[in-house]
Amino acid sequence: MLSKKTIENVLYAALSQGGDFAEVFVEDRFSTNIKMVGGYVENSISGRDFGVGIRIFDGFNAVYGYTNDASEENLIKVAKEIALALKSEKTDIILNLMKSDTRNLNPIKIIPNTVDKAKKVELLKRGYNSAKNYDPLITQVTSNYFDEEQNVLIANSEGLIAGDKRVRTRIFVQSVASKDGEMQVGYYAPGASMGFEFYDTIDVEEVGKEASRIAKTMVLAEHCPSGVMPVVIHNEFGGVLFHEACGHSLEATSVAKGTSVFSNKLGQPIASPLVTAIDDGTMPNEWGTLNIDDEGTPTQRNVLIENGILKSYLIDKLNGRRMGMESTGSGRRQSYKFAPTSRMNNTFIANGESTFEEIIKSTESGLFAKKLGGGSVNPATGDFNFAVMEGYLIENGKITKPVRGATLIGTGAKVLENIDMVGNNQTCGQGMCGSLSGSIPTNVGQPTIRVKALTVGGRKGEK
Amino acid sequence: MKYFDLAEKIFESGKDKFEDMEIYIEKTKTIEMSVFNGELDKYNISDTQGMSFRGIHNDKMGYSYTEKVDESSIDMLVNEAYENGKYIDALEKETIFSGSDKYEEMDNFNKELKSTPLEDKIEFVKSLEKEALSLDSRIVAVSYCMYNEVENSKYLINTKGLNLEDNTNLAYAYLVVVARDGEDTKTGISYVISRDFKDFDYRKMAKEAVDEALSLLGAKPIKSNEYPVVFRNDAFASILGAFSSIFHAENVQKGLSLLKDKIGEEIANKNFTLVDNPFSSEGFNSSTFDDEGTATKYKKIIDKGTLNTYLYNWKSATKDGVESTGNGFRNSYKSSVSTSATNLYVEKGDKSLDEILETVDSGVYITDLQGLHSGLNPVSGDYSLSAHGYEIENGKIKRPINQITIAGNFFETLMDIEEIGNDLRFSTNGVGSPAIKVKKLAVSGE
Repeated sequence: MLSKKTIENVLYAALSQGGDFAEVFVEDRFSTNIKMVGGYVENSISGRDFGVGIRIFDGFNAVYGYTNDASEENLIKVAKEIALALKSEKTDIILNLMKSDTRNLNPIKIIPNTVDKAKKVELLKRGYNSAKNYDPLITQVTSNYFDEEQNVLIANSEGLIAGDKRVRTRIFVQSVASKDGEMQVGYYAPGASMGFEFYDTIDVEEVGKEASRIAKTMVLAEHCPSGVMPVVIHNEFGGVLFHEACGHSLEATSVAKGTSVFSNKLGQPIASPLVTAIDDGTMPNEWGTLNIDDEGTPTQRNVLIENGILKSYLIDKLNGRRMGMESTGSGRRQSYKFAPTSRMNNTFIANGESTFEEIIKSTESGLFAKKLGGGSVNPATGDFNFAVMEGYLIENGKITKPVRGATLIGTGAKVLENIDMVGNNQTCGQGMCGSLSGSIPTNVGQPTIRVKALTVGGRKGEK
Repeated sequence: MKYFDLAEKIFESGKDKFEDMEIYIEKTKTIEMSVFNGELDKYNISDTQGMSFRGIHNDKMGYSYTEKVDESSIDMLVNEAYENGKYIDALEKETIFSGSDKYEEMDNFNKELKSTPLEDKIEFVKSLEKEALSLDSRIVAVSYCMYNEVENSKYLINTKGLNLEDNTNLAYAYLVVVARDGEDTKTGISYVISRDFKDFDYRKMAKEAVDEALSLLGAKPIKSNEYPVVFRNDAFASILGAFSSIFHAENVQKGLSLLKDKIGEEIANKNFTLVDNPFSSEGFNSSTFDDEGTATKYKKIIDKGTLNTYLYNWKSATKDGVESTGNGFRNSYKSSVSTSATNLYVEKGDKSLDEILETVDSGVYITDLQGLHSGLNPVSGDYSLSAHGYEIENGKIKRPINQITIAGNFFETLMDIEEIGNDLRFSTNGVGSPAIKVKKLAVSGE
C-alpha cells in the first residue's frame, strides 16, 4: 500500500514540529452492495475506498489529517500542516519500524470479490421469496446484500508496522405487513467476519421468514400499554440494551473527560451481582472481531463488569494517556476519514443460571421484549431509549398478546442495578454502531434477562 | 474545467459497453476542531475526493465508484458498472439527463468565511468553552465544544453534454454542557450553522446551552396521560426530518408510504404548509441543480393542509409520467441517485412561542427528542420517542420533566396541529420548523 520508506518519511515530517507520537493509517477497501425491492434488483453498486490518515499526539492533545492523495509529497504536506496546530518543542526521534506478526482470528475461505455477482443476487432472491411467501399479509420485502474487504496498514513512531485484512459479509431482509391501512415492519440482518462461506452457515430462507414473522405478528398486535413494569428482554439483539445503556458510558471517550456516569468507579459495584459483562474482540469470525484494532493494538477479551463490580473500561491510545492506563485494543474507526477512539467490538452480558421458562413463569405481569430495534444514549446522564420491534404482554407468568409501538426508557446505571434475573441462553446479534469515530460493525448479545422495573412508553395508556 | 479530461478518457473507455455515461465527483475540504479544558483536543483537516461513474446499457443503469480519482481507476469503474448493470431488473427506463433550459443563479460560497484567519476560529471555540464554564457554578463540564467548517464542490459531466459545477461552504458550532446539582445531572445543547462567521457569537451560544441545562435540573417524569403538546421548533424539525421520506415518490411507488393516492387530499390541518425551497437563504441545502443535473425549484409539498406533490427524481418521474421535481440527490458518490428534499421547512405562522404556550391549560412543552433512528416507523407513521421538556400549567412553564416518552402517529399528528409559531429555525438535520402545538399525544412517564 505504501512503502516503508514513505511511511518513515511521513512520520518524521509529522514529528518535525514537535509532538511525541505519530501514526499513519492506510486503508484500501472494496465493497459491494446489492439492493432488492419487491423481488427486483433495484441497485447494485461496487467500488473502492482509498485513503490515508495521519495522527500526531503531543501529550494529551491530538491532531489528525486525511487525504486520498497518497503521494509522499502530499502526505508530508498534510503531516506538516496538522503539526503546525501543536506548536510544541521538537524532540529528536529515531524510527525503526518492525513488522509485527498478527494472528488470524478470522480465517476466510472464499473472498467475496471472487464470487460472481449472480450468486449474490441469487441469495437475495431466495431471501425475498421466503419472506414474501410467508403470509398474504406481507405486502413488501426489501433486502440488501453486502460484502467488503478492508485492507489496512498501520504504522507509528513507536516502531509498529502492522497490517490486517478484514472481510465482512451481511444480508438484510425487511418485510412490511399491511392490514386495514396500517403497516408494520420486521427485519433480520445476520452478518459475520467471514467470506462467502458465511452462507454455508446460515439459511437465507430462514432470514426472510424471520423478518416476515415479526412484521406479521406486529401488524396483528395491539398498541402497547405504558407505565413502569417488569420487562423481560430476550437474548441475541436484546443485548443492544447493554451496548447503549452501559457500553457507551464505559468507553474511555467519555470516561477520560469525567463526563461518564461510570467515571472513577473502577472496583465499585455498578450493577446487580448477577451481571457479568464482557467485550471480546477475539471471538473467531464474529461481526465485531478484529486481529488488531485501528491503532494496531491486538484486540483482547475485556471483562467490563464481573458479578456487578466494574473491572475495566474500553480504552484507546489517546484516552489511555489521559487516564494513565494501557489501551485495551479498543481503538476503532469507520475509515481513514475518522481519527480512532475507544469503541466496542463484541459486547455481551454473560450467561447466568435461570432458564428462559423460569424467567417468564416468575413474572406476574409485564412486557416481554423479544426483539429490540435500535436505541441511543446520552453518555453524560445515562438516559437511554430503545424501540421494541417485537413485544408481548406477560400475564400471570405466561406470554400472551403481541403488542407494538413500545419504547423502553431509563438510565443505564439504574437498569444495571435492577436486573434481577439472568438467563443461560446467551447469543449475539449484529449491528452497526454509530459514534464519534463513525459507524462500525459490532456484535451485541446477552441471555434473556429481567429488569424488575422499567418505564415502557406506548400509545395505549396506563397498564 | 477540472476533471473534464479524465471524464473524456473514461467515456472513451466505456463507449463500447454503454449507450450513455456520467461521472459525478465530490471534492471536500474540512476543518474540525474541539476544545477540552482550554486546549485544542481535536484538530482535524482533510482534503478528499470521490467519483461515481454510471452508465446505461439496454435501459439498465450500472454504478461504480472510487476514491482514487485518476486514470488508474478507469478499467475498474467501467467493468464494475457494467457487471452491476447486468443484474438490474429495470422496471422503469433509466435516463441520463441532458440538462434543464435554465438554472437559477446563486452563490453559496462565502469567501469571507474561508479567509477568516484560523486563529479567530480557534479563539472562538476556546472562548465558547470558557464562557460556558464561567456562567454558573453548577456547570461542571463541557462535554462537546466544537467548530467545523466544510467546503464542498461537485462536478457533473455526462455524454449528453452536461457539464455542471457547484461550490458551497458552511460552518457549524455545537456545544453540550453538563450541569450537576447533587446527584442530578442534566445536559444542555446549543448550535449555530451558518456561512457567515459573524453569526458565531460565543456568549449567546454559551448562555443558550447553560440556560437549558440549568432549567432541566430537578426534572421528573409527569403522570402518564394524554396531553396537548407544544414542540420547540427544532424538536418538531427532527420529527419532520425523520418522516420526510414519506413524500418521496419512490417510496410511494414501492408501497412504503401511506401517502399513495393522496395528491389533492387534505392530509394536514389547514394551517400547515410544507415547503421545499432550494433557494432559501436560511437553509443550508441550497442548490440550483440536483445530482442528476436537473434545475431545482421551489414547491409547496403541502399547501394549507392539502398534499400538492411528491418529490421526484427522473426514475420515479418517468414511472408516474411526470417531470423530475429536481429532487434527485445522492447520499454520496458511493450511492445511486435517490430522492431528497433540499431546504424542507414548515411555513411560519404568526404567534410567538409564549403566545402558543398561553393556549395550553395543562400540557407538555417538548424541547428534545431521542431515538429518532429507532423509535419511529416511517411506513406506518407510528412513533414512540424518549423526550424531555417542561410541564405547562395555565399557559406558563411550570417545571422541567424528563424520562418520558411521547407516542403518536405522524399522519394523525399532521391533522392535529393547532398552532404554528413564528420562530422558524433550521435544525442540525437541515429541516426547518417553527414551534408547533399538537392537540394531544400519549405521554408516558410515571
